[in-house]
Amino acid sequence: MRNGGNRAVPSLFVIRGNDQGTRFELEEPILRLGRDSSSAIHVHDTEVSRQHAEIRRTNGNYTVSDLDSSNGTFVNGNRISRHLLASGDQVQVGSTLMLYTGRSDEADEDLEMINIAAAEGSQDSSRIIRSVSQEQGSQIFAPDAEFSLNPWLARARSNLQVMYRTALAVSHTLDIDQLLQRIMELIFEWVEADRGCIMLVDPQTKLLKPMVRRTRAGVPSDEEITISKTILDYVIERNEGVITSDARQDDRWDSAASIVQMGIHEAICVPMQGRYDVVGAIYIDTSTSPEEIIRKGKTDKFTEDHLKLIIAIGHQAALAVEDTRYYSAMVQAERLAAIGQTVTTLSHHIKNILQGIRGGSYLIEMGLTDHDETVVGKGWKIVEKNQNKISALVMDMLTFSKEREPDLSKANVNRVAADVIELMQGRTDELGVELVWQPADEMPNMMFDPEGIHRAVLNVVSNAIDAAGENKPPGRVEVSSCYDAEKSLVQIVIEDNGPGIPPERMDELFSPFVSSKKGRGTGLGLPVSQKILNEHGGRTLVDSEVGRGSRFTPEMPAVAVI
Amino acid sequence: MDEQQSVLIVDSSEETREVLQTALERRGMRIFSAAQVGFGLELARRHHPDLIVLDLELDESSPEHLSAPFAEQAGADHASLVVLGSVRRRNSCLPNAEFVAKPYHYAPLIRKIEELLGRCAMGETGPCRRCS
Repeated sequence: MRNGGNRAVPSLFVIRGNDQGTRFELEEPILRLGRDSSSAIHVHDTEVSRQHAEIRRTNGNYTVSDLDSSNGTFVNGNRISRHLLASGDQVQVGSTLMLYTGRSDEADEDLEMINIAAAEGSQDSSRIIRSVSQEQGSQIFAPDAEFSLNPWLARARSNLQVMYRTALAVSHTLDIDQLLQRIMELIFEWVEADRGCIMLVDPQTKLLKPMVRRTRAGVPSDEEITISKTILDYVIERNEGVITSDARQDDRWDSAASIVQMGIHEAICVPMQGRYDVVGAIYIDTSTSPEEIIRKGKTDKFTEDHLKLIIAIGHQAALAVEDTRYYSAMVQAERLAAIGQTVTTLSHHIKNILQGIRGGSYLIEMGLTDHDETVVGKGWKIVEKNQNKISALVMDMLTFSKEREPDLSKANVNRVAADVIELMQGRTDELGVELVWQPADEMPNMMFDPEGIHRAVLNVVSNAIDAAGENKPPGRVEVSSCYDAEKSLVQIVIEDNGPGIPPERMDELFSPFVSSKKGRGTGLGLPVSQKILNEHGGRTLVDSEVGRGSRFTPEMPAVAVI
Repeated sequence: MDEQQSVLIVDSSEETREVLQTALERRGMRIFSAAQVGFGLELARRHHPDLIVLDLELDESSPEHLSAPFAEQAGADHASLVVLGSVRRRNSCLPNAEFVAKPYHYAPLIRKIEELLGRCAMGETGPCRRCS
């Protein structure tokens, strides 16, 4: 279902979101899209409903229907309830953006059947009959008086403009295979080619590698496409597009036996010039049969206008390939940086825990040697505290990394919050922070995951205490709960009089492994809280002022006990 | 004969302060401790300790900047300076400090403190050149 390579199958390719880079191939007649792990299109996005949308096949095409999701389904930026998908449509659910590619008319063709033939021993007797530099090709849309006089050129121009727009739209895709497939389709729409292929220069080996091949319906697709290496080298090195033909230009050969016997083979080969380099080449060819020559006389199927057109397409495709490669490299770099940051933060935190355990053990050993129970007790307290720290860290990491459903049971938010307050008492005493708890008078039992919410509230309260502890005395943290029956909402308000959060830090507040606690924090507390609340359909509101303190309000829908 | 030797511990970790204080007090030393740099420096200037244990990871943004006034004070008082953290001598502008990388074991750290205070097996008083 995922990450397949069969381009003939319609697919949704994730171009933004947690599943970026994943391709969901649409092979079943009905597919569910949602956060639920049983969904055929399982999206790891907390803003996506469990059963968010349905993708249904009708007459070979797919229709997306929203299943009354909380945040809606969007196609090309518009909220839809049902929409017939067309290739290039962008489907957005939550923060996940996917690109739809419909069924290709042609089956996947064998890329092995493309042969780049060396000059020697080549069967191809084609030679270059015309060439156009890349710059000239790109000037295809320059105003030209001739265009308005010649209806064919005027039509061609308008066609080209349409194609250019399409090519521009295609340049937004982040999937190179899909992009090249689309480019090839466009070329076949506008040029009467029999066969075509796109080759990209492998960034490592610098060799041309066939990426896409296409054959017009009715033309045998099992024949090898032979491309002269001499011509390819010419195109790449000189950055010029060429038309080649094996027909003799000499008029005396017009009806000569050789042409009538063999037919004529014409080809266009253009460089794919990006911003900096030639990233590949596009090749198309066509053959005119002897019968056709006898019927119509010798005509050139490929003209200079075709050549210019393909050069323009090649340029667009190259820019898109460069963009996509650059983007992938950036995503990769960001991922590596994120991994680096994660490892640094975690090792720092674990190092501190290890230091604590060593300290505690040292005291225990010293106490045992000296037969001093007080010192043993002191040491044991430190060891125990660090055991709790590592256990909390592991729990946070598990909560953060695992996709899970809240374990709903009947519970009371006041009870859960009161437990957190009790647990934090020792810490507030240590830091000289006053902790005040004001439960709501009315707080019905409701369905939620008490352990999860306990963890979510604990992380926020613990942060508030740390923040208030930085204050010159008296540090103060006030926790209150609130139930809004009308909105069916439950909130826990946690206010501290700590230093407050600078506005520039607000955006990274819920980013994992970003801690402002100078090495004391794992950077997992708030992201974990937020994740748990999101899993409950809730969120955490934050309000903070530097110098005055912060107010965190975790809230979630009050789900009545059935 | 000797006045009670004193050690200043500047470390944001309460646990480290407690472990060092307990261990060093049992060895007859007088301990001052601070969780923050500002208060630590105040204690250093007021009590002129014989040795300062300084955790440079108090604030990772500018460890050198933080440690400079301690080094100055230690120099003026002919006191030893033990720096805990990930900073290495070659990267440091504190040529006279002893560096102990984290995570460290307490027994060797305490031995080093004793040596620096001249409490090594040789029985010398004052900073022990041989051991430091």
